[in-house]
Amino acid sequence: MEIFSTAFLVALVAGALRQTTPLLFTALGGMFNERSGVVNIALEGIINFGALAAAVTVQLVEAPYLAHDPNARIWWIPWLGVLAAIVVGVLVAWIHAVVSIRYRADQIVSGTAVNMLSFGLPSILLLFLYGNTSDSKDVVHRILPMDAYLPFLRDFFSTPLGRILDQSPLVYLAFLLVPLTYYLLFKTPWGLRLRSVGENPEAADSLGINVFWMRYQGVLLSGVLAGLAGAYLSISELNHFTRLMAAGRGFIALAALIFGQWHPLGILGATLLFGFAEAFRILIEGTGILPSPLIQAFPFVLTMLVLAGFIGRARPPAAIGKPYEK
Amino acid sequence: MSRLLAPLVSLVFALLLSVSPWFVAKRSFGGRGVLLAPFGVVNPSGARGPLPQLDWLGVAFWGWVALAAAAALVFLLFEGERRARWLYVLGAVGLLAFGLEALLFYRQVDAVNAAALAEGARRPPLKRHSLSLGLYLQLFYALYLLISARTSQPPGRGLLIRYRGVVVPAVSLILAMVAGGVLVWILRPIPGVREGLSTYGYLVGKLDLVTYTFQLLFGPVLSLPGLFQSAVIATPLIFTGLSVAFGFKAGLFNIGAPGQLVMGAVFAMFAGLYLPGPKLLVLPAAIAAAALGGAVWGAIPGWLKARFGAHEVINTIMMNYIAVSVMLLLLSKNEWSFFGRVVHFPFKAPGYEPKSLLIHESARIPMFLQMLGFKGAGPGELSLALPLALLGLLLVYYLGRRIELGRRVLAALGAGVLGYLVGGLLPGIPAHVSADLASVRLNGAFVLALFAVAFYNFYMWRTKFGYELRAVGLAPKAAEYAGVRITSKLVLTMAIAGALAGLAATHYVLGGGIDEYRFKQSIPYTVGFDGIAVALMGQNTPIGVTLAAFLFGVLLTGGLQLNIQLGISRELVTVLESLIVLFIAAGGFLPRYFVEPLLATEALKRLAPPAASEEVR
Repeated sequence: MEIFSTAFLVALVAGALRQTTPLLFTALGGMFNERSGVVNIALEGIINFGALAAAVTVQLVEAPYLAHDPNARIWWIPWLGVLAAIVVGVLVAWIHAVVSIRYRADQIVSGTAVNMLSFGLPSILLLFLYGNTSDSKDVVHRILPMDAYLPFLRDFFSTPLGRILDQSPLVYLAFLLVPLTYYLLFKTPWGLRLRSVGENPEAADSLGINVFWMRYQGVLLSGVLAGLAGAYLSISELNHFTRLMAAGRGFIALAALIFGQWHPLGILGATLLFGFAEAFRILIEGTGILPSPLIQAFPFVLTMLVLAGFIGRARPPAAIGKPYEK
Repeated sequence: MSRLLAPLVSLVFALLLSVSPWFVAKRSFGGRGVLLAPFGVVNPSGARGPLPQLDWLGVAFWGWVALAAAAALVFLLFEGERRARWLYVLGAVGLLAFGLEALLFYRQVDAVNAAALAEGARRPPLKRHSLSLGLYLQLFYALYLLISARTSQPPGRGLLIRYRGVVVPAVSLILAMVAGGVLVWILRPIPGVREGLSTYGYLVGKLDLVTYTFQLLFGPVLSLPGLFQSAVIATPLIFTGLSVAFGFKAGLFNIGAPGQLVMGAVFAMFAGLYLPGPKLLVLPAAIAAAALGGAVWGAIPGWLKARFGAHEVINTIMMNYIAVSVMLLLLSKNEWSFFGRVVHFPFKAPGYEPKSLLIHESARIPMFLQMLGFKGAGPGELSLALPLALLGLLLVYYLGRRIELGRRVLAALGAGVLGYLVGGLLPGIPAHVSADLASVRLNGAFVLALFAVAFYNFYMWRTKFGYELRAVGLAPKAAEYAGVRITSKLVLTMAIAGALAGLAATHYVLGGGIDEYRFKQSIPYTVGFDGIAVALMGQNTPIGVTLAAFLFGVLLTGGLQLNIQLGISRELVTVLESLIVLFIAAGGFLPRYFVEPLLATEALKRLAPPAASEEVR
């Protein structure tokens, strides 16, 4: 493919939007817990569990319908998968919340435990359900790109701009969440309370804000969003779950969160940067310009460079990582 | 609290006991068993053959119920010294009953086998028989009574708090095992089950499944090859566990052990392939190269933290991914093109397999049995060189407490060399090596790991550097004020932690720990994550890390059988590990004075009479 041709640019931008989506979901989720003062390194694991839940739920629910009629297409099944991913994401986040808020554990150790759990537990479940330890069965009911839902715009979706915009509804949702979370965090009393427990929990407590409950909400919200990221990976981008599906996205999202200065707009910019880098990497990987392992290392090197170059200027929430003592 | 808790424990014990298999009369491959429970024989797979007639099981069950009821009454009615005295008695009775039942079972099984053999059977009908959950429960309940007796008075309770470094991991391990048992209960059917099992049979069968799972997991401790194989798996875990513990002591979280291990393997491979010279020089150099590779990979995030304040957690994780990419670059293809220029990698083995060439003979670590003087399977002689060297070293080190430290270490090393020479001259002890034992790939890296443990102990608690490092971990501001240079300390700590993780690669690349003396893409670098569990389980102490590594070595070795016999993924061990990490992070859900040293001191002061209050360790 010729670089800087229209086709290349369309593929690059469309790919970047797809790669940005899971990072954006996750980083926005991470924003809620970090703003409330809890580090959630378990995001990586929550993505894995969300992806697993979505793929398995869709597969199990659609199986009887497909057995009855192989061409059956039922609109609500993929959305049920998304819901399952959210529920499981919240449950896993709740484990992290209980251990780190109620039992005042080291938040990074607790998050690492959840991540380790997400490396091992899916294998056991997959072996039980599908007889192998690495992949779930392919699902038929995916969340499809927009043109499947808006057939009357099919002509538009074949133009270059249309091909860029022909994305899964979850992509639109991710970008819509940016203004929404901005409003929630900076324009509502709830957002003020959430930020206050992350900056100065003692002061917030003295004003009658329940610090523990606000922190629970922050962490559980991150579970919702990271679960969505998982569902996007397993039943929208792909059609099955594979082991270690998050592939470091949870950690890159954390870096994007720092780079984006814990602010929705900053996070949008940071995740777009990573998304474009990833899309570019995928496009040039087949061309043989550089060995593919070197290209694969690129987003991780970029993350380290970004962190090293930016960290001094970013100011995290003051009480981050510290368990609150009443 | 314990007033209500203890009767509850007794009730749960009695209920579980009634539906537990007490003995397994015989077990066939795949987990099918004939289970002896207090209310009858449960035989899910319908196996045939003679069984021992344990008609006393019902009586024994009601005896245990009576014992549990008595214990509950003691907890409810008595306090202090009287409670302790009664609990001691009941616990002792329980232990005695446990021993008696086990003895009786084995004798009856032997009788059945002898009778069958006398009638002309070719093999004893009850070959694989064992105690089961019911008996384990009895043992643990008796021990629980004894511990309760000891801790029902203030000095005993203080003991629990003082040994919280053991109590918290132990409680976490038990909780993780319970959670793992529930998982197995839900996911797997009773082995060989047929239709028409009664509710009682179902409960007994499921409990047997869970018990057998853990019997398989802990099985390797029962045989010498099993123990050796556990040591093989424990070797890299010791290194990575020490690596993580080293970071923890300085308040750093090193999740980068996998990447550091991979880079250690890269460096060790280059050293092993290209360093010329005699073994005496090349082998130490190759080992040092592995350490260097890990040290470089650890020092980079350390430097980034010291220079830019970038958090080491994200950076070490990124370094893991980058190290894997480096490995793929080196091993997955013989030729790569960089911007159109083709580069050929001579160290990569020709062909599609992602592995390097075999490293030179001179860089290979000898097998452990070779180091002990054996040549392979069959009769041989146990050379006294290594045991005497270790004995001399340890004796001089521990007896020479009065000598100044530097001289003491030198003297100990001298004694070690002397012991090696003397032991080499002495005639060996004749011994027989079984083929099973000879096939285990335990190598000198294990000895190296033990030296690393000694180094960790020495560096952390016997040197100024270690003292400073611990001070930084406990209170960075205070340490800085006292004159510690935090930035260089950070880099050095991460470098040493990385070096320890890098040394784990010697086991795989130089020691042939899996099968061959080369760097392969299948190198199990995730043992770096296991190191986190090892360090937490071992509470960052040298002995603790060694024991925890052994525990996980045993579990991972037993995990192989799990897959073969019960169809449970070996990943169950990973799940247990992550649960252990989670529970230890939560302090085992115990009261907070088990977790925080300051609260522990206060709790101890409250317990002990003022005059006799002791220093907290």
